Amino acid sequence: MSANYKPVIWNRSKQVYDAILLAGVIGYILIYTRLGPFLQPAIPPLDEQTLAMQAFGSCAFILLTLVLSIGPLARLDPRFLPLLYNRRHFGVLTCAVAAAHGAKVLGWYFAFSSIPPTLAVLAADTSYGQLHGFPFIPFGIAAFVILLVLAATSHDFWLAFLTPPVWKALHMTVYLAYALIILHVALGYLQATANPIFAIVVTLSCGSLVGLHLAAGLRERTRDFARPDPAAQAPWVVVATVDAIAEGRAIVVSLNDAERVAIFRHAGRLSAVTNLCAHQNGPLGEGRIVDGCITCPWHGYQYRFEDGCAPAPYKERLATYRLLLDGRRVLLDPHPNPPGTSVEPIPITESAG
Amino acid sequence: MPGAVPSLIHDAMLAYAAIGGIVALAFLLIGLDRIDPAAAGAYAFRPLLIPGLMLLWPVAIVCWVRRQGSGGRGTSMRRRHRSAHLRIWIALAVVLPAILLAAMSLRQNGPTEAAPIRLSD
Repeated sequence: MSANYKPVIWNRSKQVYDAILLAGVIGYILIYTRLGPFLQPAIPPLDEQTLAMQAFGSCAFILLTLVLSIGPLARLDPRFLPLLYNRRHFGVLTCAVAAAHGAKVLGWYFAFSSIPPTLAVLAADTSYGQLHGFPFIPFGIAAFVILLVLAATSHDFWLAFLTPPVWKALHMTVYLAYALIILHVALGYLQATANPIFAIVVTLSCGSLVGLHLAAGLRERTRDFARPDPAAQAPWVVVATVDAIAEGRAIVVSLNDAERVAIFRHAGRLSAVTNLCAHQNGPLGEGRIVDGCITCPWHGYQYRFEDGCAPAPYKERLATYRLLLDGRRVLLDPHPNPPGTSVEPIPITESAG
Repeated sequence: MPGAVPSLIHDAMLAYAAIGGIVALAFLLIGLDRIDPAAAGAYAFRPLLIPGLMLLWPVAIVCWVRRQGSGGRGTSMRRRHRSAHLRIWIALAVVLPAILLAAMSLRQNGPTEAAPIRLSD
C-alpha cells in the first residue's frame, strides 16, 4: 500500500499471473512465426523479420483487446475479478510488445537510412492527400506514445502525484489508443493482406470489446438511476433493509450521478463509507470484509470498518457516513463526513436483523 | 531528404525529451522527498519514474508546484469518469465499425488475392 514505495510489488498470485502472461506472449510469437508462412503463402516467402514484425504487432493488438476487456468483464461477472488484480502488469507488457513491434519496423525498413530511423519513419510516407495508401504509421506511433505514457505512469507514485481523478482520466486515453490502433491496422495491414483471418479477428475483437463496454456501462447507468427514497425525517434516506446486506459484504447506493456509498455488514453491525477506494477509485462495495477490514476488490487495499482509515502504517482514508436503523430499514445521512471520521457502526438488533 | 514538417516534429520531440530529462533529474534529486512522504528512504523505485517524468514533464512541474508544502493526498468521492466511460464507448461503437467498413471498402483486392497473370513469355 502506501507506507513506502517499492519498484514492483510481487506476491505469489502476481508471479503466477505474470508467468502465465509471459508464457502466453512467448508462445504466441513462436507459433505465429512458425505458422505464419503457411497462413500467408507468398512468393517469395515472407522473411523472418516481417513475420516477427507481424507477430509482435498482432500480439500487441490482442493483448490490448484483452486488457481492455478485463474491466467490463469484472463488472459484469465478479468471477473475472482476479484478472483485474494485476491489470497494470498486463498493460505494461502490452506496451513492451508494442515497442518490440516498433523496434522490428525500425530495424528492418529504416536500419540503413541515411537519416536517423526515428526521423525516417516520420518522413517515409506523407501522402496525406489521398485515401488509397493513406499513411498508417502515424496512427501507430500516436497509439504507442499513449501506451508508453500509461506504462510510464503505472506506478503508485503517479496515482498519488497526479491525484486519482487526473490519473484515471489520463489512463482513459487508452480508449483513444485503441481507436488509433484500429486505424493503424485498418489502413495498414488490412489493406495489404489477402488473408481474411486477421480481418475477421480484428472485427470480432473490436465488436466484442464494444459490446462488453456498452453492456457494463449501461448496467452501471441503470444502477445509478435508482435513487434512495427520503425518510420521514430529514436528512435521512432509506437505502435498504437489513436482510438485503449479506454478512461480510456490502450494498451500494447511488446518491447522485457520481457519488456512491457502500454499506457493509460485519459481525452484527453496519457501517457506511464512500464506494471509492482511495487508491485507484476501485468499487469498495464490490469487495468484502477481510480481517475486520473493508477490502477493495481491485488491489486489496484495506480500511477499518469503524472509521474508513487504512490500518497503520498506511495513510489512506475514506469518507464515512452516518447510519440509522428504523426497524428493519437502514437509513443513511447522505452528507459525507470528512475522510477518516470515526462513526460507531450501528448494531443490528434482533428485531431488525 | 526528409520534409520540413517531419524534421520539425522530430527535432521538437528530441528537445521535449531533453528538457524532460533535466526536469526528471531535478525532480528526483530535489522535489520528490519534499512532496511525497512515502518516497522517504525508498530509492529503488525512483529510476522507474524517469520515463514518466520525461514524457509528462509539463504536468509534473504543475503538480510539483501545487504540492509544494502539502504532503497530503487528495481524496475524491465522485467518480465522474463512470459517465464519461459510457459516452466514450457509445462513440466508439459508431467510430470503430465505420473505420473497419471504410477500410474494407478501400481495399483494392477482394478477400482473396487475384491469380497472377503472366504478361509475356
